[in-house]
Amino acid sequence: MTTNNKLSSIVQSCRVIRKMSQPGPYQKSDELYYQNLSTYYTRLLKARENGGFIAAHTVFFPAEILYAMDIVPMHTEMTTWLMALFLGEQAELLSAGAEVGLAAEICSPHRGLAGAFTRGYLPHPDVMLWSNLICDNTAKSGELVMKLCNCPGFFLDHPFQHNNEEVSYLVNELKSMVRFLEEKSGHKMNWDKLSEIVARTNQQLALTNEINELRKLVPSPFAAQGFLKLLLADYLFPGQPEAIAYLQQLRDELKDIVREKNLNPSLEKHRLMTLFIPPIYMTSYLDRLYLKYGAVSVVEPMFTKWTKAEFNPSQALKSVAEKSYVIPESHVMYGPLNENVIKYVVDSARDYQVQGAVFWAFLGCRHACATIKIFKDALNEAGIPMLAVDCDIVDPTVNPEEEIGEKLERFFELLDEL
Amino acid sequence: MTDTTIISPNNLPEIEYFHSINRAFPGNSEIMDFKAQGKKVFGWLCTYVPEELIVAAGALPVRITGYGRETDLDDGNAYLYINNCSFSRSCFQRGLRGDYSFLDGVVGGSTCDGARRLFDVWRRYINTPFYQVLTVPRKTTDDAQALYLSQVISFKQNLEEFLGFEITEQNLLNAVELCNETRGLLKKLYELRKRLETPITGAQTLEILTASFRMPKASFNAKLKHLLVALENSPVTYKGRARLMLVGSVMDNPEFLQSIEETGGLVVTDELCTSTRYWSDPVIINNGEPVINAIAHRYLSNFPCARMYPSEERFDRIMALCRDFKVDGVISQIIRYCVPYAHDVPLLNDKMKAAKIPLLNLDVEYGSSGSGQIRTRVQAFLEMMEAHKK
Repeated sequence: MTTNNKLSSIVQSCRVIRKMSQPGPYQKSDELYYQNLSTYYTRLLKARENGGFIAAHTVFFPAEILYAMDIVPMHTEMTTWLMALFLGEQAELLSAGAEVGLAAEICSPHRGLAGAFTRGYLPHPDVMLWSNLICDNTAKSGELVMKLCNCPGFFLDHPFQHNNEEVSYLVNELKSMVRFLEEKSGHKMNWDKLSEIVARTNQQLALTNEINELRKLVPSPFAAQGFLKLLLADYLFPGQPEAIAYLQQLRDELKDIVREKNLNPSLEKHRLMTLFIPPIYMTSYLDRLYLKYGAVSVVEPMFTKWTKAEFNPSQALKSVAEKSYVIPESHVMYGPLNENVIKYVVDSARDYQVQGAVFWAFLGCRHACATIKIFKDALNEAGIPMLAVDCDIVDPTVNPEEEIGEKLERFFELLDEL
Repeated sequence: MTDTTIISPNNLPEIEYFHSINRAFPGNSEIMDFKAQGKKVFGWLCTYVPEELIVAAGALPVRITGYGRETDLDDGNAYLYINNCSFSRSCFQRGLRGDYSFLDGVVGGSTCDGARRLFDVWRRYINTPFYQVLTVPRKTTDDAQALYLSQVISFKQNLEEFLGFEITEQNLLNAVELCNETRGLLKKLYELRKRLETPITGAQTLEILTASFRMPKASFNAKLKHLLVALENSPVTYKGRARLMLVGSVMDNPEFLQSIEETGGLVVTDELCTSTRYWSDPVIINNGEPVINAIAHRYLSNFPCARMYPSEERFDRIMALCRDFKVDGVISQIIRYCVPYAHDVPLLNDKMKAAKIPLLNLDVEYGSSGSGQIRTRVQAFLEMMEAHKK
């Protein structure tokens, strides 16, 4: 059963938001952001009538390969997040996930996704692709989707550590996946196109790093929670022209703000490091709260701060494999949590002159929350207080908005006193 | 004499001994005596860590477990947060409070989020001299076997360097023979449970299994051999109202099974990593094959944990056990936040439904005694099965 109703709603919401956009320093990049979202979901919405082949995939999956094969991607977690953000139907989706038999402690985007498929809110994919990058939830979600959607699937086994042997293993996994996709879709891998995508990935990373450099300035020229939009580039459009266009526009806007000294230092009272992702459904509430207290997230080492890397377009598949190790989430959250990673986070706090850190303790994400004590201790040693806020990314019933707001307010007041 | 209510256990001296070893764990006499000889003891965190290498190095492998009973986990919560499984939190708390201070090393694997983060916080906050984490693929393809073998070889090299001791092919062979002997004896124990009237309860079996990774294998094997002879000739047997199988998360407290069995159900087999999955497959050395290759192959291809892909093999093996042990019903006990097993619930439900085997899903915490609500639900499950039979 597929009605696609909810995808239409996402597309319509994006169009309405674009039309309502207000003049401001980020107006053009914001418009591009919503245009990109609209493009992504329109393509998915029209995939069937256009004879497209849809591959659903979990977060941090190498969608570059899908683009190179002219396969229509469906980012599973992002789609559930957007449903929460634009449609507010979390209760319905999570309840449908529970009916399938998924326990409440399973990551809510995955429960919601299963619910969305059973309710027919999303088109059933032609194949399901998933991997253990980044957690047990991503590793285990695929087989149920295959069953619910009656489609074949491929599990990409991402090795745990970064060395030549493990990268070779991953490259072979990617080769197997390409063979699987060629067989199921009838589309041939276009290796030249993949090389182009890798080349653009270098450009994408360079732009992201330029933006991050601008965010080091005091005050930062970027919006308090602008980083949430930054995520979209790599999640939905890795190595794609849409990502480049958005990042270039944003970079130029930030440069303009700095050049024209269009900055109000009094608006930035607290420079924050954000660890993990805040509740998506609270975006507007948090925007208002951050504005009230002059709080600005200037660095997110788990999500937007990429390490320096350059990939070789002539070794496209190996580059895709290597890229998976430098994705910020992968770099910080996957593999052994050793001294280098801890130092990376503390150094980021120092480099961006943050006064405090907020760790969004998404209760469905066990591997992230288990790092709270380690990062809190390390940041405290560096004189940076850290607040952990219990929450759920999409489910507002876990912790009421007011309770989260109060915690943040007390934290900002504490920072005032320091 | 057949006991259908299963309240009077067959109190053989060997079972009493294993019980005493478990009660005194981690500081039991077997471990302390071994340590007193100047030998090293290594803790392992998951069944994907090959014990044979530790044995071959002349050291004692001991499985790191938590309290195995209901207790406050204040430190575990503070360091691993409340949403990691209570097994990880319980293990860590014991470590932090010094219960494992005798360990010379800790070896983990990238097996699940709980296990890998337990390793991370242990390494950061508990001072143990040797650490190693193995990359454990989730597939069993040739490439995956090769990758895992390289990890096992690296573990061997690091052990040799740490201990200043070369692990020879003969050392490995001896270790394989010893561990295979344990597996073979435990298999014989399980064969006894296939009988319609078994000489041992599920709770007693778990007591034995748990002791098997808390003492030197040679000593354990000697005791188990005596016990098997006694059980073969035991006048006491158990039947129960229904033959049950236990599947799901890690479990090492016999009280939980005892609680189930006090309701009249007899646990005759399981799929636990502390039981069947621990002993099920021996290391098989093919002609001319290096022993370490055979060890690596066994550990990656063993009866799979829910972490492995595809899940179908786990389900197939569960179904085979149901047939072999003439199981009437299956109890799935999943520790809260044990995500790999929780994700399999909808799929396992369907398999069981198709096979017409009743399934009871229980959400538990590690160390739960199985009293109260759980007991009531098991009671209702048994009644449902009985009503269905009529």
